[in-house]
Amino acid sequence: MTGEELLALCKDSLARAGEAHAEVFATWRARGCARFSGGELGQHMDLDEPLATVRVARGGRLAETQTSKLDVASIAAAIAEAAALAPLLPETEGFPGFAPADGPSPSPHRFEDDTAKATPEQRAELLSPVLSRVRAAGFFAAGMLETSIGAAAVATTEGCARAHTETAASFRVWSLETPGAGGAAGYGGHMHKSVSALAIERETERAIRMCALGKSPIELDAGRYDVVMEPPAMSELLEWLSLISFGAPEVEQGGSPMCRLNERITGEGMTLVEDATWDDPALGFGTPFDREGTARRPITLIDKGVAKSILYDRTYAARAKTRSTGSARLGETGGLTSLGASNLVMSGGSAKSTDELIAGIDRGLYVCRLHYVNGLLETPRAVMTGLTRDGCFLVERGKIARAVGNMRFTDSFLEGLARSDGMTRDRTAIPSWWSAGGTIVAPAVRMRDFMFNGRSQKSA
Amino acid sequence: MPLLPAEEAAMRAALDVLRRDASVRYAEVRFVENRSERLRVRDGRPEQASTSGTRGVGIRVLGEKTWGFACSPNVTEGELVLAAKRAARIAQASAGLVPSAVVFPEREASRGVYETRMERDPFSVPLDEKMAALDAPVRELLRGGKPISSADAWMEWVRVEKRLLTTEGTDTTQRFTYGGAGMECFALGEGGVSQRRSYPTWQGSDGFQGGWEGLAALDLMGHTGEIRDEAIALLTAPPCPEGVRDLILDASQVALQIHESCGHPTELDRALGSEISLAGGSFMQPRMLGKLQYGSDLVDIVADSTSEGGMGTFGWDDEGIASGTHPLVERGKFVDYLSSRETARTLSRESTGTMRADNWNRPPLIRMVNVSLQPKKGSFDDLIADTKDGVYMLVDKSWSIDDLRLNFQFSCEAAWEIKNGKKTRLLRDPRYTGITPEFWRSCDAICGKEDWKLFGISTCGKGDPMQIMQVGHGAAPARFRQVSVGNTGGGK
Repeated sequence: MTGEELLALCKDSLARAGEAHAEVFATWRARGCARFSGGELGQHMDLDEPLATVRVARGGRLAETQTSKLDVASIAAAIAEAAALAPLLPETEGFPGFAPADGPSPSPHRFEDDTAKATPEQRAELLSPVLSRVRAAGFFAAGMLETSIGAAAVATTEGCARAHTETAASFRVWSLETPGAGGAAGYGGHMHKSVSALAIERETERAIRMCALGKSPIELDAGRYDVVMEPPAMSELLEWLSLISFGAPEVEQGGSPMCRLNERITGEGMTLVEDATWDDPALGFGTPFDREGTARRPITLIDKGVAKSILYDRTYAARAKTRSTGSARLGETGGLTSLGASNLVMSGGSAKSTDELIAGIDRGLYVCRLHYVNGLLETPRAVMTGLTRDGCFLVERGKIARAVGNMRFTDSFLEGLARSDGMTRDRTAIPSWWSAGGTIVAPAVRMRDFMFNGRSQKSA
Repeated sequence: MPLLPAEEAAMRAALDVLRRDASVRYAEVRFVENRSERLRVRDGRPEQASTSGTRGVGIRVLGEKTWGFACSPNVTEGELVLAAKRAARIAQASAGLVPSAVVFPEREASRGVYETRMERDPFSVPLDEKMAALDAPVRELLRGGKPISSADAWMEWVRVEKRLLTTEGTDTTQRFTYGGAGMECFALGEGGVSQRRSYPTWQGSDGFQGGWEGLAALDLMGHTGEIRDEAIALLTAPPCPEGVRDLILDASQVALQIHESCGHPTELDRALGSEISLAGGSFMQPRMLGKLQYGSDLVDIVADSTSEGGMGTFGWDDEGIASGTHPLVERGKFVDYLSSRETARTLSRESTGTMRADNWNRPPLIRMVNVSLQPKKGSFDDLIADTKDGVYMLVDKSWSIDDLRLNFQFSCEAAWEIKNGKKTRLLRDPRYTGITPEFWRSCDAICGKEDWKLFGISTCGKGDPMQIMQVGHGAAPARFRQVSVGNTGGGK
């Protein structure tokens, strides 16, 4: 199903329902997921994800319903259900009505035919050398190869009509000393719109190399260390920063670092943009409009360390007497927020490689990934905690000296970035944990004196 | 809309196709309809009023060597037969990447009906009554104005209809009703200092299986004064001092501690490595069964999918295994896993019946049921009175644990210093950290039945792509000796 087909469905459903003020946001995704572990392909799935979300307004009274049946009769029935609920609800203060017809939204390149046509047999064929290579290296392989096609469309009774179709392919691989009992681990990952462009061999070799390097770790004492974090580690911190910071509700509650708008909240090297419209072949992902149909545009959230902008949907924007940033989204898992960033892009620096950043450390750590980061400790300062995973190394005199057991950090991410003095020019796109279709683009970053307050053990 | 006769016929037709396929050793055809309602009031205005209805069929097939899964939202014979063939094709496509065939022990067919017991169906309660039940506590939390900057309250109701048919003849029908509600308020002090207090648990919500009466039992209105006053008091409270102290956790924090440090590491698929691509492995390895002293002699932890009102309670799991009670930790010793038919067989054991999928378009995984710490004796007041120098922490604020579930760090919304058997002063931003077995071995007191409560979590994430599941944890306040505590100053 394409975005245009979905849009036709949305329009027909609105016409059938006959409501004066209604909105239909329909999404559909077909995902082929080949999940492997212990060196074999154990979970291989074709997943169908259809969803239509409709809203009906009676004045300022607003109700929402969802259905997984993408046909005119079912969506029209959902509209009727919302219409029955709306009069029973209190008014939503500031609701400005549904999006009107507007100019076209950007149309960045997001579709690759090879991904759209990928089959289970092709996914298995691509994974075969991965499993063989990791096995030959004496390790266990785990990970996921996913190919997906997705479509989204919005139509409102006020005339807004938008459609989008995209593909995504992602590959994540672990090389492990033991299947699930810990030990050395190396990680590789890559995402692209085209499955043929995935660097599967390169990332597999990287995972094997880092796993071999991670054997026989030493234990380090807690303390402050200069640290170089790879893009997958940075993406975890950036995603948590996004969850606690950029949405208008978080700022209203008073717990966001962005409450200090137009003040310096972190280092000058930090510029962060929300941009679902970037037409970069390797790093650009995202739907160019939000669930309300607002066309997305690049929004600079943090400019050279200064808090610049926060994110709005139409209602929060009307209350603040500004315009929507195209940041409305469906309620996320756990109900953290239904308004926020989808595709974050952090600026890069001037370092030609991670090795160049490491060369600037006399004694410190090189961290490949983080695990179970949590950013709810002290949100105004963005204090976060988490652990290293899949590669943590001691750096001595500018070179990786040896593997280190996993360490726990607890520090303010923004204050850590204020102590940053190096970032790579190259950046990597990492799939979001929390937002379907979301991405975080990040460089590798060097931060000085980052607080590591504990260490884990290898086993019980 | 319950499963229609034509839809049931479509499911059986898909199953028949798979029965006739010589490459298929076992198959499940599972219908799920998921209906939910989410309401939220923030600062006196409705923030969310949404209903959702999704339905479809998931088909899991065990081919000659391994599994395949496909699904369809269209419950018609044509669509389901196509999905069944697709699942079998996926299993076939994957066979070359599995060195030895999955061994899946046969089981007798299960048949029957399970339904949540409740007094008042929440889906029959008028919407205005529900909104009023949220609006009243929010207004109460905001009464008095600053320094309270924001308050919200929410509720969620979910109904799941599930029908499972398998090639073994299993035919079960289950109808679940889950509820949950909570509230929180934020206090804003000088210099941008912010404090949150929520009720009844971490992130506010507590879930249950049951009807509208479950909301009344939470009594949001009865706790507004307590959390508003404490949020304000926390703005000027001293930070929890760093050090090694005796630590008492409230029941909700014990529940989360069980979830992260016992529930997840006893999932056998994790221990065997199947969950690496999301959450990691487990320090609790099969060779440690019956040997690892996980906790002190006081620590008995049970996986129970029969507890009345538990979010992890059901009639049968998604492989047709009947609900039951299985000790995981007995007198501190690690004795069993949460398991599936396939994984349990690798240990020559029977499945503990924990396979569940969160919707029709996902395959089942090993999920926690109600994983509960058994109560011992004594009241909470007795426990405080028995503690000379310690810290009492309550209601989680942040949670983090490593990929083997060993090193954890939790911060809580509030703490009280305990001196000579009395709560003396409120402390802000407390955190504690430890290594799982060391921590549980230091447990020297668990309160009795009067202080024991069955909590529900509706947001447990696992799998790749992630699935969100309802699970339960029974817990009572407990004391742990000589734990590393401090505050979330984060490098300051």
